[in-house]
Amino acid sequence: MMRKSLRDIPGKRKKGDGIDSGSTLRRISPLLTVACLLLLWQWISARELISPILVPPPSAVFQAFIDALADGTLLKHAAVTLEEMFYGLLLGVGIGLVIGYAIAKAPLLENILSPIIVAFQSTPIVAYAPLLVIWFGSGIASKIVTTAVIVFFPTLVNTIVGIRGVSPNLRDMMRSLKAGRWQTFRHLEAPSALPVILAGLKTSTTLAVIGAVVGEFVSQGSGLGYLVTLARNLYDTPLVVVAVLTMTAISLTLYGLVAYVEWRFLAWQRRPRP
Amino acid sequence: MLIFARLIIFAAMSLAIATSAQDEPVDERILLTFIPNVQFAPFYLGIEDGHFADAGFKVTLEHLQEPEVLDLVAVGQANFGIVSGEQVILARSRGRDVVYAFEWFQHFPVGLVYSSEVDLSDLTNLRRMTIGIPGRFGASYSGLTTLLGSAGLSEADIDLREIGFNAPEVFCLGAVDAAIVYVNNEPLQIGSLASTGDCGDVRAVDVITVASQVDLVSNGLIVSRARLQEDPDAVERMVSGFAAALQSAINNPAQAYLASLRHVASLPAEESLVSALEMAAERQREFLVSNPERDAIAQSRRELAADLAERFDRETLTQLQVLLNTIELWDADELGYSELASWQAMRDTLESMGFLDKGGGKLQDAFTNQFVAGRDE
Repeated sequence: MMRKSLRDIPGKRKKGDGIDSGSTLRRISPLLTVACLLLLWQWISARELISPILVPPPSAVFQAFIDALADGTLLKHAAVTLEEMFYGLLLGVGIGLVIGYAIAKAPLLENILSPIIVAFQSTPIVAYAPLLVIWFGSGIASKIVTTAVIVFFPTLVNTIVGIRGVSPNLRDMMRSLKAGRWQTFRHLEAPSALPVILAGLKTSTTLAVIGAVVGEFVSQGSGLGYLVTLARNLYDTPLVVVAVLTMTAISLTLYGLVAYVEWRFLAWQRRPRP
Repeated sequence: MLIFARLIIFAAMSLAIATSAQDEPVDERILLTFIPNVQFAPFYLGIEDGHFADAGFKVTLEHLQEPEVLDLVAVGQANFGIVSGEQVILARSRGRDVVYAFEWFQHFPVGLVYSSEVDLSDLTNLRRMTIGIPGRFGASYSGLTTLLGSAGLSEADIDLREIGFNAPEVFCLGAVDAAIVYVNNEPLQIGSLASTGDCGDVRAVDVITVASQVDLVSNGLIVSRARLQEDPDAVERMVSGFAAALQSAINNPAQAYLASLRHVASLPAEESLVSALEMAAERQREFLVSNPERDAIAQSRRELAADLAERFDRETLTQLQVLLNTIELWDADELGYSELASWQAMRDTLESMGFLDKGGGKLQDAFTNQFVAGRDE
């Protein structure tokens, strides 16, 4: 049966039918939201409805952003956080994929490991982050581990769900074709589980910022978390906002990157099926 | 006649209500830093023994980070807070008009803890040592900068590691040679670990206090200038209430510890210890009736520590010892008085750290001694 796409639904405009105002509005709506928030922020600041000590005006934040960019402070600390996130993601996602696959294939392993995994996940990371600093030192290692711990769980769960969600009929078909383990993994399990695993990766990338910054809060030195602490202790609230917005920007960019990878790798899903 | 009697009763009742309203303590929040700890004993004593109530306040305590304490006081969301002097200087340079009204810690509480086997009789021996610090900000960093400066050294001469507030663990793991700590607290913990062989090769520790090198302004009570101008009487009453509580804690640490038990859940509170402290507190009250000199009171505190050490183990008494050590940092001939020189020294340190532009606002505006007992400025 031919699957209907949204374009085929009556009443929906097709691309090229003319100006699609609804679609354009949808596309620019996030920007409109940001613009409205900025205007509201400026309006509140201009009327001093909230003390500028607590909420600095956008102009002061913009100036702090320019200053931090010009003297290299922002890039230096952002680079450190990105490095911690990169290695943390590599470690956490790597381990999550391997253990997730193993658990999906061996339910006994799930019984053995799940109490530890659930206990770790249900405890707020800020509670045991100081322990990670004591165990792994005050350098970058403890921040990488903090990041890895926080990104591990979504990857693990989505890998398990993805692998277990592979159609039994297709598994039977692979068996009837006498496909080996590697062939089954490569041609069936990996492509089938990929959408769910990538969805987990999107969650992991946003959590990675939290992991790195929590580590930086506990053990100071450098990074955007440290910049927040330093700026707070120097009563430079605009710089605090700059650091926080930079974290948000990093998080959104990484999310967008994974979404792009998802879009590219899962192009086959969008093709009409016979 | 009946109407007249009713009028008299009504007037009497109105007067009673008005008087009672006047006497009713006003709810007041004091913002503190850190977490509930025996080091805040004067506040607990102030609440439990009625020093704040006598001053007309029903005080509640809240613990926040130092910058948050300062900002909330600056914008008027709280009337009183406790922060360190360097925070006042930094915050004022960024537009927070707060005034330091009572110097609680008369001695800067930061110092360097190190193994007794290391020779630091000459501070230049710090060169090339690995030193742990909570972070490159706050009183710890100011203290280290001052300590290094007093030896003609700078941060470039040492290997500085930022270790968060984990000095006992990191030091005892051997990751640093020395650590910047609060001298009333962490050296006791580290010393305790060292004495039981749980601190690597370290068997005993020594401490160099920053106060032994330079007099820096430390923790004190702050109020916003707006509040100070609006209701100086309330500020005066709060200062006098706190001063009375502080003096009481200095004079009778057993009493202060007992008051802290109701506020600090983690304090050792074995029945035998509580009973011993109640007896000690009673003895001390009798002793204080004779108006002893400051030295005699200090001697009585040492005797209390020695007496209890014979009956209880070190771990049970650690928090009491923290309190006794902290009292040494509070005690002075004139409680609450702030020296301009200590503010100047702190500003010089902050300038040398690059945290402050040269020639910032007038230091005299940052603090006042007008509410200190016996002062009339």
